Amino acid sequence: MRGLGALEAAVMDLLWSAGEPRTVRAVFEELQQRRRIAYTTVMTVMDNLHRKGWLRRELVGRAYLYEPVRSQEEHNAELMGEALADSLDPATTLIHFVERMSPEEARLLSDALARATHGAGTQGSRNDANRPGQRQLPSDGQT
Amino acid sequence: MIVAAVLVTYAVVLAVVTPRLLRGAAWAERAPRLAVCLWQALSLSVLAAAGLAGLALAVPSVPLSTDLAEMLQACVVSLRDSYATPSSASVAGSGLAVVAALLIRVAFCATAGLIRSARARREHALKLAILARPAPTLGAVVLAHETAAAYCLPGRNQRIVLTTAALDALGERELAAVLAHERAHLVGRHHLALAGADVLVRAFPAAPLFTVARREIGRLLELAADDAASRRHTRLSIATALAVLAAGGGEGVGLAAGGPTALGRVHRLLAPANPLGLVRTMAGGTLAVVLLLVPIAIAAGPLLGLGHTLYCPLPAVPPPAS
Repeated sequence: MRGLGALEAAVMDLLWSAGEPRTVRAVFEELQQRRRIAYTTVMTVMDNLHRKGWLRRELVGRAYLYEPVRSQEEHNAELMGEALADSLDPATTLIHFVERMSPEEARLLSDALARATHGAGTQGSRNDANRPGQRQLPSDGQT
Repeated sequence: MIVAAVLVTYAVVLAVVTPRLLRGAAWAERAPRLAVCLWQALSLSVLAAAGLAGLALAVPSVPLSTDLAEMLQACVVSLRDSYATPSSASVAGSGLAVVAALLIRVAFCATAGLIRSARARREHALKLAILARPAPTLGAVVLAHETAAAYCLPGRNQRIVLTTAALDALGERELAAVLAHERAHLVGRHHLALAGADVLVRAFPAAPLFTVARREIGRLLELAADDAASRRHTRLSIATALAVLAAGGGEGVGLAAGGPTALGRVHRLLAPANPLGLVRTMAGGTLAVVLLLVPIAIAAGPLLGLGHTLYCPLPAVPPPAS
């Protein structure tokens, strides 16, 4: 995961766990303990993250204070929304393991699976056969 | 004119008839990669026939004759007779215009598509780098989310993405099968085949052949990846993983259509593997090559014939089959 986004990830992680706004200087000093890095690099990265809407900033005194615009969970939700709702020109951008289905279709599918595994008798994978059925139940706790 | 007409007829017949023959053919499921090749050969063949038809209209009017020797003049006359196009500038011009329009349209759509998807992939990879956690033992990255999902991001920053819910929902064997399936997509560079089919759909949205080809290639590549995964993992684990991930769990994310594909894949996986035999595979491969050669052969027919004309100093083309 080196290369693309590694530094951005480090900065965002730091600010998410900090829980309060930080200056570039403060972020730089924390990052410097873990890796060799230039102050201007950190400044550029944070400026880019601000421009791309990951960070908001406020001028306090003579320095900007940066903080995340949204929580990591919100970003995750948005990313999965993009990935799963096919808003990304999916054909050439992402290849899914399987398209999402309506509950109706999903039941047909696990029915087929259940029939096959029962028919096969001692295939030795009772867990396999049961699992899709379990996933069918709407899990209230998760939503 | 005759050559152009034959080429156009060939293209139209191919575009209209073959999708019906090939779509959902039973043997295609037994040899998905071969079927993908055939769809590609078919698309290219139609495209080539249309382009060569334009060229055939234009060729006889190329001012080849004016400053060449008299012997060559005879040759050109013969060539003109063969293509038999009235050598008016308008016909030749429209022929060339057809060729140019085809080339420009395809090149434009290909470039635009490449740029757009490269940018979208880069954006997505950057977001993943910030949000997802690498799981080196799986060869994937994991994103915390309550929808069970798995996908791959192809290209330069290629990676396989799993959600935490998918990790929870999948058993060990199913997880391995999913990863093998996604790796097959990446290793096989399936996104390139999809991108190519996409270009044609976007360039010629009115041609049903390309739309059908795009859909079929997408479906067949899934089957090919299932087959690749089934070499190291049981077909049952792949089918089970399909059922788990198609249901997804978690809400708040729009459902995409495409259920029948998944259902078809499960039925196929639950039946014993039944690959196409060697002879029929070879026949299919030969057919793909023939599809690519036919438009060229039609277009070059008169030129080939020319080689046998006595007074023509253009024996550049050796007599066939010697």
